Amino acid sequence: MASTLVLGLGNSLRGDDGAGPAVVAALLLLDLPSHVDVVDGGVPGLETVLLLQGYERVIIVDAADMGLEPGEWRRFTPDTVELKSSENKLRGTLHAASLAEALVLAGALDVLPETLIIFGIQPQKIDWSPDISDALQGVLTDLTNAIVEELRT
Amino acid sequence: MTENINIDIHHITRVEGHGNIVVDVVNGELKKCNLEVTETPRFFEQMLLGRPYGDASHITSRICGICAVGHATTSLRATEAALGVEPSEQTKLLRRLNFLGEILDSHILHVYMLVAPDFLNVGSVIPLASTAPDVVFRALRMKQLAGDLCKTICGRHTHPIAMTVGGFTHFPTTAELYELRDRFYDSWVDVDATVDLFKTLPIPTFDRETEYIALRNEAYYGFIDGNITSTDGGQWPLQDYQSVTNETVLPHSSAKHCSNQRDSYMVGALARYKINHDLLHPKAVEAADVLGLEPTSVNPYMNSVAQVMEIVHCIAEGEGLIDQLLQREVVWEDPVEPITLTGEGVGSCEVPRGVLFHHYKIEDGRISGANCIIPTNQNVANVEADMRALVPTLMEMPQENIAHRLEMLVRAYDPCISCSTHLLEVKFE
Repeated sequence: MASTLVLGLGNSLRGDDGAGPAVVAALLLLDLPSHVDVVDGGVPGLETVLLLQGYERVIIVDAADMGLEPGEWRRFTPDTVELKSSENKLRGTLHAASLAEALVLAGALDVLPETLIIFGIQPQKIDWSPDISDALQGVLTDLTNAIVEELRT
Repeated sequence: MTENINIDIHHITRVEGHGNIVVDVVNGELKKCNLEVTETPRFFEQMLLGRPYGDASHITSRICGICAVGHATTSLRATEAALGVEPSEQTKLLRRLNFLGEILDSHILHVYMLVAPDFLNVGSVIPLASTAPDVVFRALRMKQLAGDLCKTICGRHTHPIAMTVGGFTHFPTTAELYELRDRFYDSWVDVDATVDLFKTLPIPTFDRETEYIALRNEAYYGFIDGNITSTDGGQWPLQDYQSVTNETVLPHSSAKHCSNQRDSYMVGALARYKINHDLLHPKAVEAADVLGLEPTSVNPYMNSVAQVMEIVHCIAEGEGLIDQLLQREVVWEDPVEPITLTGEGVGSCEVPRGVLFHHYKIEDGRISGANCIIPTNQNVANVEADMRALVPTLMEMPQENIAHRLEMLVRAYDPCISCSTHLLEVKFE
């Protein structure tokens, strides 16, 4: 089993929410080390927990509202930021559990990988379209390269 | 004895969608007892108008992420009824197998993540993950199997892209079917553990006679096609659904109320079980026995228990259907073409929460009229009637306990509130 997972999350029919899958598609065109799995996770909700299982290092790529300019991206770890969702207790509907809830559940189940890194990219528009916006398209190569660098460390 | 009770729960937790419970008791007298559905209308029926008939199942599958297969299948049956399409034997088997995936996915989520926390004294599945991680893992594993079943048969985990009018546009391979068969066989450990867990949970005792309605076809238990059948007696063909549902608008709720031979009726797993228990797989009969479920039950809290029993039935039935498909060998079939492009038809299926109706009018291949009646919509009146009967029996309890019991009652119905609101067309004359 591979030791590293690159997991792109998001709905590729919802404009820039498809940033994760777009990065995954770009990575799959490259020659990556054999210890790396690259997966388009789509919108798995709580089942994200099962996707994370068994890896030592997981890199998640997802559209994220960080209050930045569209197309800006950041690399961070969950403990250094506050991942907001409706609330961490999963009070709300389970039909729409996001990454934040999934990570809380993974923590409670003790299946978080040793190393978890998130690459968040600020969306321009989350609408009903099958393409990512120009703002994000323009930084796709940079972001993909940054992840490839990350995989080398 | 609590003389004055004022319960106003805004946004009940652990149900899908938005609803409020409002109960007012003044000087020991129940003044108000409402389930207020505050969800906005979804306008799906309007969205279908003018669209080509082939789009209907894809659009309506988006009504819900959990019941997508249910909506799509019902939609296809309505279109097929309107346009004279008779699906092949293989299509029927594939659709039946696919449908089991949805029932499993929905029931597992409901019983483990929405209902179980009440009985295990936790607010949600997160604390449960700390105290009983094996339970949470089991639920996730079982859900994943259900989702993978759907993905294998209809092309996607959610939204059955490979289903179309008259058949399928994609077929599972023999290897995929064998793999599913193995996973179903291996899942019995989890299924048995589920029954073991739920037989220990203290289901509240609350009996109230009401009418129960479900589809019945004489060949097998659920879930696609049948005649509308009532525990009060009576059976109706699908075309007559409106004489059973009798929707009325009420001021406090954006979901309409339904009634048939009494002031309300109940649909869902308990109704299905009461009406079709003779058609259950033997393993499900055994599970019902272990769980203390009987066809004479009139306790709405037992709806969740009936769902656990249906999980057993679906795994057993699923194994049988996979075996049938393997024996026949799945072959490529072009979808059956319509014999006309103008017609009217009603399709109906038993989705996880009860009987669902889609009714379409099609003119020259385009949808000219649509009506969808969702099970939760049909249950709202019965939930209120239950609440009105239940509250007086709980008056000795502290208010927060009463509130919790009412929430549990609503949860037992497994309401899918956002599916349940749809628009009434008003003509000004």
